[in-house]
Amino acid sequence: MSEEKLRYLFWTRFMKNKLAFMGGLVVAFFFLLALFAPCLSPYDPGDINIKKILESPSPDHLLGTDQLGRDVLSRIVWGSRISLLVGFVAVGISTFIGIFLGSLAGYYGGWIDSIIMRFVDVMLCFPSFFLILAVVAFLEPNIFNIMVVIGVTSWMGVARLVRAEFFTLKERDFVLAVKAQGARDSRIIIKHILPNAMAPILVAATLGVAGAILIESTLSFLGIGVQPPTPSWGNMLTSGKDNIEIAWWLSLYPGLAILLTVLGYNLLGEGIRDAIDPRLKK
Amino acid sequence: MNNVKEVIIAFMLTISLFFSSGCGQDDKIPVQTPSRQNCKEEKPAYGDMLIEGAIGDASNLIPMLSSDSASHNVMGLIANGLVKYDKNLVLTGDLAESWEISDDGLTITFHLRERVKWHDGVEFTAEDVLFGYRTIIDPKVPTAYAGDFMEVEKAEVLDKYTFRVTYKKPFAPALGSWGSLVVLPRHLLKGVDITKSPLTRHPIGTGPYKFKEWKTGEKIVLTVNSEYFEGRPYIDGYIYRIIPDPATMFLELKSGGVDQMGLTPTQYLRQTKSPKIKKNYRKYQYLAFAYTYLGYNLKNPLFQDQRVRQAICHAINKEEIVEGVLLGLGEVATGPYKPGTWQYNPRVKRYSYDPDKAKKLLKEAGWIDSGGDGILKKDGKPFQFTILTNQGNNQRAKSAEIIQRRLKTIGMKIMIRTVEWAAFINEFIDKKNFEAVILGWSLGQDPDIYDIWHSSKTGPKELNFISYANTEVDSLLEEGRHTFDIEKRKELYFRLQEILAEEQPYTFLYVPYALPIIHARFRGVEPAPAGIGHNFIEWYVPLGEQKYHFTP
Repeated sequence: MSEEKLRYLFWTRFMKNKLAFMGGLVVAFFFLLALFAPCLSPYDPGDINIKKILESPSPDHLLGTDQLGRDVLSRIVWGSRISLLVGFVAVGISTFIGIFLGSLAGYYGGWIDSIIMRFVDVMLCFPSFFLILAVVAFLEPNIFNIMVVIGVTSWMGVARLVRAEFFTLKERDFVLAVKAQGARDSRIIIKHILPNAMAPILVAATLGVAGAILIESTLSFLGIGVQPPTPSWGNMLTSGKDNIEIAWWLSLYPGLAILLTVLGYNLLGEGIRDAIDPRLKK
Repeated sequence: MNNVKEVIIAFMLTISLFFSSGCGQDDKIPVQTPSRQNCKEEKPAYGDMLIEGAIGDASNLIPMLSSDSASHNVMGLIANGLVKYDKNLVLTGDLAESWEISDDGLTITFHLRERVKWHDGVEFTAEDVLFGYRTIIDPKVPTAYAGDFMEVEKAEVLDKYTFRVTYKKPFAPALGSWGSLVVLPRHLLKGVDITKSPLTRHPIGTGPYKFKEWKTGEKIVLTVNSEYFEGRPYIDGYIYRIIPDPATMFLELKSGGVDQMGLTPTQYLRQTKSPKIKKNYRKYQYLAFAYTYLGYNLKNPLFQDQRVRQAICHAINKEEIVEGVLLGLGEVATGPYKPGTWQYNPRVKRYSYDPDKAKKLLKEAGWIDSGGDGILKKDGKPFQFTILTNQGNNQRAKSAEIIQRRLKTIGMKIMIRTVEWAAFINEFIDKKNFEAVILGWSLGQDPDIYDIWHSSKTGPKELNFISYANTEVDSLLEEGRHTFDIEKRKELYFRLQEILAEEQPYTFLYVPYALPIIHARFRGVEPAPAGIGHNFIEWYVPLGEQKYHFTP
C-alpha cells in the first residue's frame, strides 16, 4: 500500500468516527481560544473590581464575575492557555523521555533493557499523583515546575510502548538491511525504526495531554499548582467551591472547560488509534 | 475565653476567634436581633451538647506549649487562671479569690479559692501555681510566653492557699499575666519532661469542662465538670469539630452537624438570609481583637528604605481590601491595636490611596522604570518580591491578590506563594526565609507588645521575625510595661503607634469582624465587649428543645 493510500484510509476512517471528529473540533476550538486569547477575552483577566463581586451572568459579563469582581469568561479564555501549555509541554517532556529510554531498551535488549524496565517498574510503583504532590510541595510551585514534574512522572507508558514497538521492528527486514550496510545504531534508531513507531506514540501523547491537563487542574485546585493571579481552570474551581451555593457559574464554567477539553483529547486520541489500527480493518 | 495575655499567632484567626477574648466597647452587638420563638420565661435546664465547628485542629493542650488559637480556645473551657478578664474586659478573680498589690507595685499576693479540685480529684493548691511558674521560666521548656515571667524576682508559697510574687521593677502587665498559662497540675507533671507528658493530648484542668477524647483532625470532646467551683454548667457536652473548609462547615451547620461556627463575610451577608436560618440561628457581629498585616523582612535590602515601605502603603487601597475581601465587615487598620480600645491612637499618619505619590517616593528612593517595560529598577535590578501567606485562609489570599494587582500599577512585580501552616511557620517564618508576608495577630487585653516589636526579640522562633529595630520604640516598650499609670502608658503607646505609622515596618491592613452564628436553641448568650463566649457556662437549652443526650 502506498503512503498516500494509507493516509486516505486513515482520514476516511477518522471522519466516519463521529465522536473522534467532535473531539477534534473541541480540541481545535480550545486551541484557537488559547491562540487568540488577547483578542477574544472581553476584559483583562486580572482586573479586580470590588463593586462587581460575584455578579451572575449578564450581557456585560457573559459568564458572571468571581469573588474579586473579575470577569469569568476572560479568565476561562486565558486559562485555556495555561491548560494547553501545561498539556503540551508536559507531554513533550514525557514523550521525549519515554522515547529515549524505550528505544534504548527495545533496540539493545539484554541488561540495558532489564535496567531500564526495572526502573520503569519502580516509577510505576509510586502512585504518581502523590509523587507529584510531594515534589511540588518541595519545589516552589510555579507553572514551569509543574510542567516538568508532570512530564518527569508520566513517561513510563510511552517507554513501554516504544520498547514493544522496537522489539518487533528491529527484527524486520528493512532494519536488518540497513544494519548490513553498516549504519550506526543511532541512525537506525532515529531514521529507520522510530518513524515506523510514531503512530502509537502519537496516540499515547494525545491521551497524555488530557491526563496532564487534568493533573494541572487538580494541583491548581489544591492550591499548589498555578499560582494567582494567573488564571487556570483549576484554581478558578477552588474559588468556585467556596461560593458554590451563591455563585454556581464560578464552578460550572471552568468545570465544563476542563470536562470538554479532557473529553476532546480522549476522543481524538481514541479516534486516531482506531483509524490506524490495522486489526480494525473492515 | 481566658486571658491569653501574650499575642498569639492567629491561626486562621477570623474563623476561630469567637471564643478567644473578644472585642472593644464601641461595637455594634448584635446586628441582627435574636429571633426567639416566644418571649415567655424559660427555665434554664441541664443537658444537651454544643458542637462548634473550627477550621484548624489544636496542636498541644498544655497552653504554655502552644501558640495557635485552636489549642487556646479548647483549653479556655478546661483550664483556669488565677485571674481572668470578665465580659467587660476587667480583670477579675478566677482561681484567685482576691489579691493585694503592694503600694510600690512590686508585690502581688494572691488568695486562692479553697477546695478547688483538679479533674482527677486532687486538690488545687498554691504549689501548682509555683510549679507552673517554675516550668514556664525553665529555659528547657519551649514556650513563647516566658517573657512576662522573667520579670518576676521571687515567687513563693506562703501557705496552701496563698501565693506571692515579687517583681524586680513595677510591671504593668503583671496581674493579667497570671492567667491559665501558669497553672499546672504539679502532681502529674513533677519530674516529667513536659513536652512528652500525656497531658499534652489529655489535659487535666480545674475548669467547667473535662477532657474526654481527641481524635486528631476530627474532633475534641469535652464533658461537663459537675463539681465546677463556679457552679455546674448547664450544657452537658462540648465538641470542637474540625472541618478544614468553611463551605463544608457551613453545609454542616445547615444540616445540624454543627451548632456554632464563625461565618465568612460572604456567608454572613448572602447565605444566611433564608427564613429557615433566621428562625433557627442567631448571628452576631463584633470587631475581633485581631488585625491582619503585610509584613516586610527588614533584613532584605529591598525594604530597608522607609520611603519604599511608605510608597507601598500609598499604593495599597485598604478600603478596597476591606470592601473586597471582608465585604465591608471590618475596619481599616492603622496600627497594632484595635480601634476603640484605650491604647488605640486614632490620629496617626494615614496613607491615602495615591499611586502617583507612591511612584514619587519610589523615585526619590532611586527606583525608576528605566527599561520602559513597566517594572521599576535600581542598579539594574527589578523590584520584585514574593508575598508569602498560609494556606487555608481565603481572606489573606484574596488580600494578596488585590495587593499584587495594585502594586503592579506602580511597577512592582509580585509573586504570591501560599504554604501549609506548619511548614509556613517552621520553614519560612522561624527561619526568616521570606520577603514579605501576610499574617495576622490576635491581641491580648494589655497593650504590651514588647515581644513583637522589641529589637531583642529577633531570635529564632521569636515573634519579631521581621527584624524591626528602633531604639525609641525599644525604650517606649520597656517604659510602657513598667508604668502603671494608665494616662502615662497611653502617652507612650500613642507615641509608639506614631512611629510605627511613620516607619511602616508592617502595612497594617484590616481589623476583621468576628461573625459567630449559634443555633437558636441555646439561650443565655450575652454579647459583651469580650465577645460571646465569656458566659458559656450560663448558656442552656430549655428542656423541650434539647437535641442531644450526652452521657458524660
